[in-house]
Amino acid sequence: MLRRLLRDFQGDVLAIPGRLLALIFFVVLFFIPLFLQGSSGSYYLRIFIFANMYVIFAVSWDLLSGYTGQLNFGHALFFGVAAYTTALLNIHLGWQPWATIPIGALAGVIAGLIVCLPALRLRGPYLALVTLAFPLILLGIIFAFTDFTGGELGISGLDRISDSRTTDYYISVAVMIVSVMIMWKLTDAGSSIIRTGIVFHAIREDEIAARASGINTIRYKLLAFAVAGFFAGIAGAFHAHFMRIAGPSNLELVLSFQVIIWTVFGGITSIYGPVVGVYILFPLMEFLRAAPEVRYLIFAGIVVIMLLFMPEGIAVWVRDKIERECPRCKLSNMAFRKTCRACNTYLYEHAGD
Amino acid sequence: MVEGIIIQGLIKGGTYALLAVGFSLIFGVARMINLAHTCFYMLAAYGIYYFAKELEMPLAAAVVLSLLATTVIGILTYRLFIDRVREHHVTVMLITLAMAMIFQEFMIMAFSSEPLGTPSFVSGYWTIIGVKVSYQNLLTFGIALAVLVCVWALLSKTRLGVAIRATAQDSEIANLMGINVRRILLITMALAAALAAIAGAVVTPTLTLVPTMWTSPLVMIMAIVVLGGLGSVKGSFIGAFIIGFIEVLVVFLLPGGAFLKGAFALLVMVLILLIRPEGLFGVAFEEERL
Amino acid sequence: MLKKLIPLLVVCSLLVLLIVPSCGGEEEDNVIKIGVIGPMQYVQGEHHWYGATMAAEEINDAGGIDVDGEMYTIELIKADSNEMTSPTDAAAAMEKLITVDGAQFVVGGFRTESVFPMIEAAMDYDTIFLGCGAATESLCQLAVDDYDRYKYWFRVTPFNSTKLVSNSLMTLGMAGGIMQQGLGLEGPLQVAILAEQAEWADAMVAAYQAYVPAMLGMEVVGTWRPSATATDLNAELTAIEDSGAHLILTILSGPVGIPYARQLGELEIPAASVGINVEAQKDGFWDATEGYGNYETTLNTYAEGIALTSKTAAFVEEFIERFDETPTYNAGTYDAIYLLKEVIESTGTLDADTIVEELEGIDYIGAGGRIVFMGTDTTTPHDVTYGPGYTTGIATQWQDGEMKAVWPNLGVGEWEGVTYEGVVMWQIPDRVIAYYTQD
Repeated sequence: MLRRLLRDFQGDVLAIPGRLLALIFFVVLFFIPLFLQGSSGSYYLRIFIFANMYVIFAVSWDLLSGYTGQLNFGHALFFGVAAYTTALLNIHLGWQPWATIPIGALAGVIAGLIVCLPALRLRGPYLALVTLAFPLILLGIIFAFTDFTGGELGISGLDRISDSRTTDYYISVAVMIVSVMIMWKLTDAGSSIIRTGIVFHAIREDEIAARASGINTIRYKLLAFAVAGFFAGIAGAFHAHFMRIAGPSNLELVLSFQVIIWTVFGGITSIYGPVVGVYILFPLMEFLRAAPEVRYLIFAGIVVIMLLFMPEGIAVWVRDKIERECPRCKLSNMAFRKTCRACNTYLYEHAGD
Repeated sequence: MVEGIIIQGLIKGGTYALLAVGFSLIFGVARMINLAHTCFYMLAAYGIYYFAKELEMPLAAAVVLSLLATTVIGILTYRLFIDRVREHHVTVMLITLAMAMIFQEFMIMAFSSEPLGTPSFVSGYWTIIGVKVSYQNLLTFGIALAVLVCVWALLSKTRLGVAIRATAQDSEIANLMGINVRRILLITMALAAALAAIAGAVVTPTLTLVPTMWTSPLVMIMAIVVLGGLGSVKGSFIGAFIIGFIEVLVVFLLPGGAFLKGAFALLVMVLILLIRPEGLFGVAFEEERL
Repeated sequence: MLKKLIPLLVVCSLLVLLIVPSCGGEEEDNVIKIGVIGPMQYVQGEHHWYGATMAAEEINDAGGIDVDGEMYTIELIKADSNEMTSPTDAAAAMEKLITVDGAQFVVGGFRTESVFPMIEAAMDYDTIFLGCGAATESLCQLAVDDYDRYKYWFRVTPFNSTKLVSNSLMTLGMAGGIMQQGLGLEGPLQVAILAEQAEWADAMVAAYQAYVPAMLGMEVVGTWRPSATATDLNAELTAIEDSGAHLILTILSGPVGIPYARQLGELEIPAASVGINVEAQKDGFWDATEGYGNYETTLNTYAEGIALTSKTAAFVEEFIERFDETPTYNAGTYDAIYLLKEVIESTGTLDADTIVEELEGIDYIGAGGRIVFMGTDTTTPHDVTYGPGYTTGIATQWQDGEMKAVWPNLGVGEWEGVTYEGVVMWQIPDRVIAYYTQD
């Protein structure tokens, strides 16, 4: 049994550079607090905690918009709804974070299903622009009922997740890794256990064909929205408890666009793309605090330049350099191999000449 | 009150129409959501401020120079940044967003974040059925109508217009028919930027210049364009007046909720789309698998 | 395969090394680090910085701060909070300021939604934070529930938003009186309230709706709530004109203040405007409104030539000379830093808890007024005390391109005999006079 697991590990993780990198990344994440001690360390941990939350958020966008093709311009809705739900439960009912965060995530699911109603009829840019409207309409409602929502100030004074920054960090890492793995599995088109991955792909590529093949696309779209809402909700709820405030900025357009920037920068439709995107761009923004006048300029400049040369995103670009898919059995191989590790087909057309 | 609603709604709608038609045009032709569209509106406004107030040029010269400069910037943006990644729709959208941020940051560096004012072309106001309308607003409305008529004539009466419409319908077939699609895209981009710049030039004297002035009209024109039907110039025109009137109605009928005007307009857009998913005058993209 | 792995591992470890900060750094002797945090891209943040620099340079030139016999110099650290767009950013900036840059005290802050998380971050490290921008009352109510945690937060300026109501009402009363006398208007005056959509304005709107009729005998004809960043108020102004208002009572802090004043003047709406319009406190207001902002009246803190205390005149003159701008209330960081000097010298320590105790009992004459913090037994501990003899604030009106102080004034709008030298008479806008004298 153990031996089989080890063999799988060798075959499916060590042999594929992308997965190996992911593994190294996860391991490094666990050791980071050891290097970051003292009070300045807690500032750096804060950056990582935020990065972890935004990773979940961005990956959930990738699942919905990248994989299923339901271009969502208002992803902040799920984030904000969860943040506000969590905050209200925590402040008014005094519930603890371990209870409010899952309920916040469920609120995200409900928001996802509500948005999904028009999404069933709309496509492409229409859907994108309608979803854009939802968080802005909700913002209007929040400003109209300030007694309940705190208006511009939001709801502040939430309970902390834990008393120590390091504990917060480990919780965020664990939640992030589990969430990302679940979403990766859900979107894995090659999976033999779950078929959501391949269906999501089919819906994006050609919804009519998918329907013609007997797939209940409506059910899968609902599922995609619910799952995206759930994970974006976890990120939002966690964010609210960590910041100790849920406010209108959780719903603003900036946040909706931010998630698109992270994902497309890293590589859309790849799950690890948004992880890379957030982990590069979010610390970059903190780093650029050194030059506040040109902070956004440099940020935008880097995004433009990278996208011009790597229009599919940086992670996808790197993957294409280090991995090579076997033309016959579709197995991923290290790019330096001449032949496929499983079926010995030549990986490059002219390699055999 | 009714007079006020009608007149203010018409003016608001006219401005929106100028912005929305260009956005709709470039989407129709290039299938590109240009988030930097209203940035050209901002650039033109700052251009006028710079030429007229800092360089103390005559206002007319400043306006012309500013319009030209903005159009050139639009063309350059397209050639340098968008053309080469045109195939990746989401990437294009993101690049335009990043470009918008870059323009905004440049304006902050050059002019600071503080609100600035540009001189009116004509000062004073005129009282129409008891409602005061500044000459500048009347001018805006007049120019908006005139420009839109020109755009309509261009699209329907000239060879170029036919080529643009053909590209919008099916760029591959248009290419096969001997239309230089890349050139058409460039021309459309220039046209759209110029329309946005004209809107900026005529509107800003009544408003305030701030580097973030591009965001709120951007959301509204996206709503308008979707409401009217993507790619439909007629739809954008009518959508602009619908949204304009809704905003003004909210201000008049619900004064304590004037800040909700944007939210109401968006709500109406969502409701209309629920009934007509392709917008008021949109073409159903059912066959076209985007 | 291993060969390929080694560079990978090297890259990874390099990345980690890059991320891990170069901790430590040399600890300089006899330096007090004070962080100045604010939206540095805006006038508010700039003035935070200007006020603080002036104070720090003056103190350092005079030898520094005497801590128990040893002289310390002040080192200012500038932090752009980016608070206008992102409260998350603001909190991170605060934490970086304290932990990485090592600020021992912090002054600044502007937008309430961002100041909340900033306070949280500062309190996490028991760092004294002197607020110089956010007016919301509830910021000072935090310490009521959890004094030990929030005792490090003080508000130096402005006095809280409920006190702004009473100042606005007094200004409104004065303007109304002058208008009734000057134009011979009969019957109760009609007032339109124009308030931006913001939390701090909500409470004020409710107060106005009750007090304007009750205390001043005027009628409220309606309340308009545009967004703080609206750029076009044509529709609102047309509606206000329809309502027959004589006076418009404003609560505006955002950029909306400029198009409002401009369109008011350009469309010659026959109503005078008083209240709060933060844009009208800035020198750029006149140009930005193309002169249509004439007669715009707003509550204010400083004006050229007005001496609130013995220190005001010198401060304002120096500020204008150095930065070519009239200070806004955010330049209260000047007072905040002098306040720190006072308490550090009198206690002879840099220990935060001791300093908090000392600050609670301080009575200091600053450039913006007399600073006494409210006691821990009040509903807003550590808030700056307001009233005659303490901090009062002023109202200014734009009169032909110049910002003139018009309130508190003796004779009109009397307030317990408070007035300052250099205050002039409030003027009825020409457009209003023209409208009421033509028919």
